[in-house]
Amino acid sequence: MDFSFTEEQELFRKSVREFCEKKIAPKANEIDEKGEIPQEVLEDMASFGLLGITIPQEYGGSGADFVTAAIATEEIARADISMATAVYYLVEAGWGFLINRYGSKKAKEELLPDVTKGKTFLGIASTEAAGGSDVAAVSTTMAKEGEKLVINGSKTFISGVREATKYGGGYVTVVKTSPELAHKGLSLCYLPVKDVPGITTNVFKQMGREGISTGAIIIKNVEIPSHYLIGDWNKGFYYAMEGFNCARPLVAAACIGAAEKALESGIEYLKERRVFGSPLAKFEGMQFQVAEDYAKLESARLLVYKAAWMLDQMYTKNRFSHKEINKAVASAKLIAPTVAFDVIKDVLIWHGAYGYTKEAGLEKGLRGVASYIMGAEGAQNIMKLIISRELLGKDFAPY
Amino acid sequence: MFIVPFVVRLFGCGEVIVDIIVCIKQIYDLGQITVDTATKHPITEGAARKISDFDKNALEEAVRIKEKHGGNVFALIGGTKEAAKEALAMGTDEAFIYSADTDSLGTATILAGIIHKIKYDLILCGEASIDEFSFQIGPRLAEALGIPVLTYARKMELKDTEIIVERNLENRYEVAKARLPALVTVTKEINEPRIPTLLQILGASKKRITEISLEKPEAGVENLSITAIEMKRKEVILNDIEELAKIIMSEKS
Repeated sequence: MDFSFTEEQELFRKSVREFCEKKIAPKANEIDEKGEIPQEVLEDMASFGLLGITIPQEYGGSGADFVTAAIATEEIARADISMATAVYYLVEAGWGFLINRYGSKKAKEELLPDVTKGKTFLGIASTEAAGGSDVAAVSTTMAKEGEKLVINGSKTFISGVREATKYGGGYVTVVKTSPELAHKGLSLCYLPVKDVPGITTNVFKQMGREGISTGAIIIKNVEIPSHYLIGDWNKGFYYAMEGFNCARPLVAAACIGAAEKALESGIEYLKERRVFGSPLAKFEGMQFQVAEDYAKLESARLLVYKAAWMLDQMYTKNRFSHKEINKAVASAKLIAPTVAFDVIKDVLIWHGAYGYTKEAGLEKGLRGVASYIMGAEGAQNIMKLIISRELLGKDFAPY
Repeated sequence: MFIVPFVVRLFGCGEVIVDIIVCIKQIYDLGQITVDTATKHPITEGAARKISDFDKNALEEAVRIKEKHGGNVFALIGGTKEAAKEALAMGTDEAFIYSADTDSLGTATILAGIIHKIKYDLILCGEASIDEFSFQIGPRLAEALGIPVLTYARKMELKDTEIIVERNLENRYEVAKARLPALVTVTKEINEPRIPTLLQILGASKKRITEISLEKPEAGVENLSITAIEMKRKEVILNDIEELAKIIMSEKS
């Protein structure tokens, strides 16, 4: 057994950290306050090869594996603990990988180079008002009409709606293609949203990670070319589950990255801040919290990297069954956001009233991480359902 | 051992191709070194190591010259494979690593010994390493090799077989030139070193790293101990502003 990263991965972490400290961290407060990632940050990330990092070199990506992609996610979230920049990065890393795997050659050549250049945004549109994490309940439809595919319906709580309508780009979209077949009647397609007749969008005000928008897409008789179908007709549910398995370890990596940074700054504060004649760090009550937070965070981190490593093993060496991958990924996504939230909350409390101010720069981390407890990329209870389904067997599935 | 083609290759338009050696020191990240409160000795355990800042500027400049004029960049690194990989990822063609636990004279002697066997046109060094700040390696090495040295370069340009340098002398700068082969030490103003991307890092794993084992040369200065400077605060508590004013006035006089 060997827990070490490769020499290249270690050097990459060092490089990404330096990049993020120079290009992202100085803008972190601005990103949260203005509710937007400055375009030059995205351009810098693209030139540094971070956007669409898992996409192969032929489409301008770096062909990174998931451990490497998770390293970058962790480092980006350390620099911008609001999670906004990490979210922008990770949805493209996760779903760009899926388009490359199942999309048509024509679609890949047309779409992916602009994603890796930072010219367009790529996201995931799965959730609908009537069904959140219940992907099988999707009611947005797609039908074949001659050479075209026609989509009707709506998607909500979708990350990057403003970015995709501003810069261009679109979504890996889950649609119903055979309503009578439940989850076996779903397909996946690419849905562009900028200047597309029949598309209207709106953006929600949220409690956190405001640098990347969240909103709704209303789709009325929208025509897309047939090469925008991703993979086979009616196989979309399986592709979507695979895509979520790719994105979720990165989501979990972002949570632990934000919490690690908060914990480090908390430890520094405990050593500096003096009360009753001693630094706070001298008090056993504080030390026990530091130890518990570190241990919890390290456990979550191990789950994250194990899930990412298992994905890489599956894709490159055909190791591990889908059941094993599902358990590992869902465990990482179940544990990491909750642990990260608890750690950042503790660090805020150590800071006392200062922690409650925006100047302390910590509360945005708590608000950002909360999005992944509330449900983004699959609610916590769905993670529990996935794990228990794999442990108990399908016969005991409640639905 | 070192088969490197010489040299200044001149083309009709005066374009030059040069082979550049960059001397690099790997140091502990000073921000991660702590001090033992009892002995005042530095604790380096667990501290990350990195390429000394100005050496990175020298490396960046070498790669920029290569990108503009062609040629090869070789890195001579007092340090580990980790530093060599970073130098290769930044654009170095080949790296040589050696271990040098000695003083400036010893290091310059080691470097001269290695460089004597290599054909080169230009040697670049950082103006100093940021852990010891002796500013001596470049000039001592040039002396040992018998080549001209231009220190504190904030800008440089290759023209035919000459290197023209703007030397940063704090309150002024001077422009100086030297015929190649020459040695130049650079300041941090000269450029902003690139941060290697994932593809550059992965590409570097195919490049060659050679370990050189050497006999430790005699040092001019023997290091007996390293101890942190103790900063004792006076902790003067003043009751009013008048008192402070009196102290300032008395110190002024």
